[in-house]
Parts: sequence; structure tokens; C-alpha cells
Amino acid sequence: MKPIAIAVMIAAATCLLTVNALAAEPIVLGWVGPLSPPGNFSGGQEMQWAVQLGVDEINKAGGLLGRPLKVVYEDTKGQPAEGSAAAVRLITRDKVAAIFGEFHSSVALAEADVAHKQGVPWVGTDVWADKLTALQYPEVFRLAPANSLVYVKVAAWMAEQGFKHVAIIAENTDFGQDGARVVSNILKEKHVDQKLVTIDLNQQDFTPALLRLMSEGAKPDIIQMVVAGQAQYQIVKQACQLGFAPNAKTKMLGSTGLLQKEVWEVDGDCAKHLLVVNIATPKSQWNNKAKAFAAAFQKKYNRAPTGVAMEAYDTLGVVAAAIRKAGSAERKDIIKGLSQISYVGVNGTYSFPATTDPAWAYHQFIDVPFHIIQYTASNQAPSDAPIVYPKKWATTDKLLPAN
Amino acid sequence: MTYFMLLTVNGLVIGLIYALMAAGLTLVFSVLKVVNFGHGSFYMLGGYAAYYAIGLLGVPPLVGVFIAMVALFLFGVAIEWLALQPMYTGKVERKDEYAIIVTFGLTILLTNLALVVFGPFSKSPPAFLQGTFIAGPLILPYDRLIAAAVAVVLLVALAWFLARTSLGQALDAVSQSRESAAVIGINPKRMYTVAFGLGSALAGGAGALIAPIFALSPNMGELPGVQAFIIIVLGGMGSVSGSIIGGILLGVVQGLGVGFLPDPNRALAYTQAFGALLLIFVLLVRPTGLFGRAHTRLE
Repeated sequence: MKPIAIAVMIAAATCLLTVNALAAEPIVLGWVGPLSPPGNFSGGQEMQWAVQLGVDEINKAGGLLGRPLKVVYEDTKGQPAEGSAAAVRLITRDKVAAIFGEFHSSVALAEADVAHKQGVPWVGTDVWADKLTALQYPEVFRLAPANSLVYVKVAAWMAEQGFKHVAIIAENTDFGQDGARVVSNILKEKHVDQKLVTIDLNQQDFTPALLRLMSEGAKPDIIQMVVAGQAQYQIVKQACQLGFAPNAKTKMLGSTGLLQKEVWEVDGDCAKHLLVVNIATPKSQWNNKAKAFAAAFQKKYNRAPTGVAMEAYDTLGVVAAAIRKAGSAERKDIIKGLSQISYVGVNGTYSFPATTDPAWAYHQFIDVPFHIIQYTASNQAPSDAPIVYPKKWATTDKLLPAN
Repeated sequence: MTYFMLLTVNGLVIGLIYALMAAGLTLVFSVLKVVNFGHGSFYMLGGYAAYYAIGLLGVPPLVGVFIAMVALFLFGVAIEWLALQPMYTGKVERKDEYAIIVTFGLTILLTNLALVVFGPFSKSPPAFLQGTFIAGPLILPYDRLIAAAVAVVLLVALAWFLARTSLGQALDAVSQSRESAAVIGINPKRMYTVAFGLGSALAGGAGALIAPIFALSPNMGELPGVQAFIIIVLGGMGSVSGSIIGGILLGVVQGLGVGFLPDPNRALAYTQAFGALLLIFVLLVRPTGLFGRAHTRLE
């Protein structure tokens, strides 16, 4: 064989090897969320499980753009400083193509700042503070509802139901205070009497504050908790033990943390008649993707996924869809892809319009599905509980126990 | 008046649990001259120990509390033997710093280990007794009533043990002077082990008593751990009776503070601030705390 032919063959082989190596190089994404105290680690764990389920499915189906997908998980502990440091680590050390996840709004804001400065796409899973998208960073997208998307409707529903005195118990975070502000503004417009109680999430004994609510002024006929995670369990239990709520005279309305099955272990029958906002489509409306996800989650982790898990699974799906749409895992291409996608996930069809009025609508998934359920029997699964809102999905028009 | 009484009774109940935990911390400090930053984690482990004792052995909840205390006593003994004994054998030069690092590290280790072993989701043992005690205007869940009663029994038993038994007096002797105690035949190292075990058992008992009232989570000991430090300074470092009075006082002041602060919105979020204010006030009036006495360093 002539030397020139050998050289050509070696060069060709080298090229082939390089191309294969590049093809095998994984696309790396960064996930952020609370996996240890003082963050809401139970919510974070559900999110991480859902994401890993999605990663395994994508890789089993051949990966993204012919490359395997790898997610680096960062525990942000519910602390803004940890979130900020995690985002820097993911960007500089792991060279991630995009960052997604997070449960706490205050932490998300810190991460979004870093992502914005570095030009890295950031997609939020369960972070509600209006400010996050109101900042209108081109890199920041959100699947979770803004507080103004959900709590405006929730407050209006409370007024429609005829509640005259509302107690708002809100955590002292961006999410809690922002949510309380939204609820309060609507109730004011509707001339509904209201009291606000701010709590610290480290708190365990809420009894003095509940006693105060019971004793001062008009007794509330509903308590609206703008509190994430399991701190709500204590509020429910202690209110119930005092004979305050939930009962015929005073209803209780909480958020997604109350959808975990542990609510029955901690609160027992006190959880019966709780009203809970569920950020998901009801089971009767699930598409095939949602059914498959719920079955796979149940099989792998031996528990039903909550709306938070569905959001987490969809967040990964959205980022993957943006990469496919862009045909590239370059950060700027993913941002472009996110701005253009229309992705069918388990919880809806996602798109992120660049609307700037109202400010929080920027890169915000607008058609967030949500409904309010009421537990009516002990150990009831959220999917079996009657739906009281919205009308299009409602399975009952009566709140229990009747007044 | 009813409102004031309800707040006071609730504060008293919570204060008694605080006192039980703080008494254990005081005992450890008094005898070993070590501030155990891991005390909150022992409280958490006590709660889980009771939970699993009740669930796996099928014992009644109050027996679960007893089992948790025994388990935490043994755990405390093991930790003292493994982690703290190097301080007394001349292997450690900077004993105070060593104690801080070891006990602080312990709390991080145990919290994260609990997250892995017990999982991230809340757990709760069954109630001591379902229902609520109602007498006129007084409303008190039976769980709280029973926890407070058991805490009183344990605190009285502790006071009796320290004052009336030879082992209790030996602990007191070591707390006053390790060398003098050794001269009269008391083995200080053994007393260190006993004190650390007892302190851990008291923390575990407090955690087991609170478990049905609140819920179990790996970080449940963080806030009570901080409260316990406030209480032992408030009551006077090294004074068991001071920690009991301090615990009750803290619980009542926090409850009344939340109930009567003019701004109802912020009152609950300021709970810890009421404790801090109480501490500042007491230290201004009595710099050694309510029942404080002068102390020697670890000899």
C-alpha cells in the first residue's frame, strides 16, 4: 500500500473516532432544588425523582440530538446563598447547557440573577413569586404559576363562596408575602374582611397565633394558607385540636404540600375537609403522557406523584424539547428554542410568550392548570377527592361540612 | 382573661418540654464543661426512636417514650466514648475548640444521616390520647397535657436523682471540681459518660414527647436546640433548676408575646425575638442568669 493511502486511511479513522466521541459526549443540564434542611426537602425529593425518571426515559429512547443526557443535581437547601453558589458551580464547573428546577422563590431569584449574568437558560419548576418573571430576564422561563395567576382566582373564588372573614397565614418568604399580597388585594376589592398572620417556616408551635385568630375580632370563616410544604401539617393539626378548623364554621385552604400522603399520617382525621390547591390537571383530564408518567412514578417510587412531581417532569421535558427545537445544546440556542416551543407535557401544552404586560407574564406559562379539591374521607388520595373549583372540572358544588 | 389563660397554659406546656431538653444540656455542660451543639439532634433521634419502637414493637406511645430514652442514653454513652473521651486522655490540645467542632459536626452528620435513613417525608407516631381536654374556657389537646405531665415527672425524677442518690451527688461533685471528686474516690471519666448519657436521654425523651404533638422530620431538632441554649444561659449555666425555670419562662413569654404584640401580622414571626429579649433583660439584671454560679473550665 502506498504511504499516501495509509495516511488517508489513518486520517479518516481519526475523524471517525472524533465524530463518535463527540456524539457520545453527553448534554449536561443542571438541576437545582432543596434536598436537605432548612429547605422543603420532601418537595425537592419528589422533584428530583420525577426528573430522574424523565432522564432515564430520554436516554432509553436514544438521548437528545443523538447524545446521552446527563443531569447534575445541586442541593440548594432552600437558601438563596446556596442557590447562587450552586448556579455558579453548574455553569463554571459542569458547563451545563441549561439550569432548571427549584422549589423556593427566594432561592430561584438568586439563581436567576446568576443565570442572567452568565447568559444561561434557567427554567423554574415550582416557584411562584411574581417577581421572578417580572424581572423579564431573557434567560428565565417559568412553568409554575405566578402568584398572580393562581391566587387572584383563589381569592375571587373565596369571595364568590360567600366567605366574609378570611384569615391569611403566609410564610415570611418571597412566595408567601407575594401570595398574601395578591390574595389581600383581591379580597379588598371584593370588600371581604381579612387578617394576615406571617409565620417563620422554622416555627413548630402555631397555637398562640391560632388562639389569637380565634379570639380577636370576627372569627374567620376560612383560613387561607400561603405556605409551602409540610409546615402546613402543623397548622392544620393545631387548628383542628383547638376545635378551630377545618369544620363547618371555619374552612381551611392550603397548597400543594398537603397533597402528599403523609398529611394523613401527621394530621389524621384533622385533614378531612381540608381544601387544597392542586397545580395539575385532574385525573379525569389526564392525557396519555400523564397516565404513563403517574404509572411509572408509582412503580418506581411506590407513591403517587403530586402536581409538583408533574411540574418537575415537565420542566425537563420543556428543556429537552427546546434543545430538540434548536437542534443545538448551545445556551443561546436553547433560550431561542424555549421562546419558540409548544410542548405537550403531562400538565398541559407549554409555551412562553414574551408578553410584558403584566410584567410577570414574561416567559410565563400562562395556561397553568389548577383546581381545588376537598378531602372528604380519611386517607383519601387527592385524585379521588371531589373537585370544588373550577366549574369546568368541578364534581361538587358543596363544601363540607355544611355550615 | 380567658385568652390570657389559654396562652399561658399553652406556653407552660411547651416550656416544660423545652425545660426537659435544656435540663439535659445543662447536665452535660455542668459535668463535662462541654456545650453540646448536637443536643438538638438527640432530640430528633428520640422522636424517631419512639416512632419506630411504637411501630415495630407495637408498644403503647408512653412506653415508646421510655424506650427512646433508654436508646438515647446508650447512644449518648457511645458518642461520649467515641468522640469526647479523647479530650480527657491528653490526646487533644485545644479541648474547647475540639468539643465545639465535634458536637457541631455531630449535628450536621446526624441530621443528614436521618434524612437518608428515615427519608424526607414527615412521620408522626400515634397520639398519646386522641381528643382535647376542655374545662370551661380551657382547651388543651390531651397530647400536650400528657406530654407536660410526663415532662414534670421526668424533671422531678431528675431533681430527686441529683439530690438524693449517691450517683447524683457524685455527678454534682464532679461538676464542682474534677480533682476534688477524684480524691474522694469518684471516677470523673465514668461520671462524664453517665452525664452525657443522661443528657442525651433527656433530649431524646423531650423529642419523643413532642413527636405526636408536632411531627418528625430530620431537622426538627434545630430550633429546639437553639431554644435550649437560650434557656441554659437564661437559667444560669450549669444550673438544672435554672434550666427548668428558664424553659417554662421562655415558653410562657413567647406565647404571651405572640398573643399580645400589637401587630398581629408579625407577632408569630417574632417568636424567637421574644426569647432573645427575655435573655437580654435577664442578663442585664443578673449577668450569671437566674440561678447562675461561677464555673471552672475543663480541668
